[in-house]
Amino acid sequence: MDLLWQTAVNATYAASYMALIAVGLVMIFGVMGVINFAHGELYMLGAYCVVFLYAQENFPFLLAVAAGLVFVGLVGIVMERTMFRPLRDNPLGGLIASIGFLLILQTLVVFGFGRRMGHVPPSTQGKTEIFGAILTHQRLFVIVAAILLLAALWAFLKRSKFGRALRACAQDAEAASLQGISLNQTARMAMFIGAGLAGVAGALTAPLVSPTPYIGHSIIVTAFIIIIVGGVGSLEGAVIAAVLYAFVHTFVTTFFDGVIANIVGLALMLAVLIVRPTGLFGARERA
Amino acid sequence: MLLEIRDIEVRYQKTVALRGVSMTVPAGGIVTIIGANGAGKTTSLRAISGLEPLTRGEIRFDDARIDGLAPEEIVRRGIAHVPEGRRVFPDLTVEENLHTGAFLRTDRAAVQASLTEVFDHFPRLAERRRQWARSMSGGEQQMLAIGRALMSAPRVLLLDEPSMGLSPVMVQEIARIVADISGRGVPVVLVEQNAEMALRLAQYAYVLETGAVALEGPAADLRENAHVRRAYLGG
Repeated sequence: MDLLWQTAVNATYAASYMALIAVGLVMIFGVMGVINFAHGELYMLGAYCVVFLYAQENFPFLLAVAAGLVFVGLVGIVMERTMFRPLRDNPLGGLIASIGFLLILQTLVVFGFGRRMGHVPPSTQGKTEIFGAILTHQRLFVIVAAILLLAALWAFLKRSKFGRALRACAQDAEAASLQGISLNQTARMAMFIGAGLAGVAGALTAPLVSPTPYIGHSIIVTAFIIIIVGGVGSLEGAVIAAVLYAFVHTFVTTFFDGVIANIVGLALMLAVLIVRPTGLFGARERA
Repeated sequence: MLLEIRDIEVRYQKTVALRGVSMTVPAGGIVTIIGANGAGKTTSLRAISGLEPLTRGEIRFDDARIDGLAPEEIVRRGIAHVPEGRRVFPDLTVEENLHTGAFLRTDRAAVQASLTEVFDHFPRLAERRRQWARSMSGGEQQMLAIGRALMSAPRVLLLDEPSMGLSPVMVQEIARIVADISGRGVPVVLVEQNAEMALRLAQYAYVLETGAVALEGPAADLRENAHVRRAYLGG
């Protein structure tokens, strides 16, 4: 019983950062129609912001995390301007360009920091006991930050004029442009938010995962499984699928092992695709 | 002239959709463009809104060239376009859809006044303001699309086949709405396959055939024209 509860607490932590990553990926796909293969490397870049600013230069952890969000968000804007905008009518071209960009990011980080694992000391030693399960404050911080960021994103999309414009654009870009909504502007916003969320996820988890320049790979695979299970294009679906996937993966890892957990994760995706090809929450077909 | 189209050509890959079309829209009243499927009616409106690039010719609004501008810039100048097939945002509520129409306006009070006006115009939209647009009937979606366009406080309204797929009763309702909008001082460019309705509403008409203007003139004259009667009015 204790182990079950402890595993559930661990899964909640995993669900938190996976949700940030998957929501960002869905955001980019929804608004721009492009599959950002470099999304895992944006996570990695966020982690290296913490390696550099916090572990090497001794800036406060929170500041390094905020810098990770903003810096990676800006990298997203650069990607939009240099790759996705010229390739707007060519989603396959956008995908291929993002694969090229992923390799560039990896190589730059290897040049700057080497291929070995970057060591990031914990920013806090504190831990809390929740009904017998141990939750380190480092992990608690990830959970709280993810909830706050996703709530802020939700409020932005539902309540603000620009959030409404983003949703309109994701549903019908041409009709949105006929309302005076600039597709360049919405694409820029979607890229900043999507990349920034991946970056902040990397920054938040850096002390917990010992980043390498190559961690993006497993991240993007996980993120793809989550958005396919959730229904490509559905932000709510991405959050719920992240929770589902994190619980399944964490439980199988704890009670069996990590390789089996990866297999089960893929099997979950296959099962959802067979039963509901549009994913759990993807009711609509994209035009 | 408020809006002038001069000798425009639009190509889709190899086919020529518009081959040297010229039209003018005065600052009041209804101008209609009728014609068969594929004659270039929709393409004409899309060219005005900047959705299709011109390969020749020019478009002027208020004596300034607008061809080559981005669609959002053309909306900013005061041209609202209700596209073919309505294209409301299915997963936004009715009220959210209407607000997207006012995206470029910054005067909140004026936007609120427009919203009230649209709800007066279309009481059914007011009743359903919190519903998803996708849950509405075709006629209601058409009203929503028109209401959304009016929310930009346009200086000219482009309407693409507002009667498409609607019941005869709803077609009458839409006709009344179009006349009403024009009566309130917003000039309308009406693209229609329903030539009967269009020629009754409009003061001036263009007949497009295979990407060129085949005929033009006062709507009342075209209604009596032998070719128009045979080809578009069913006798």
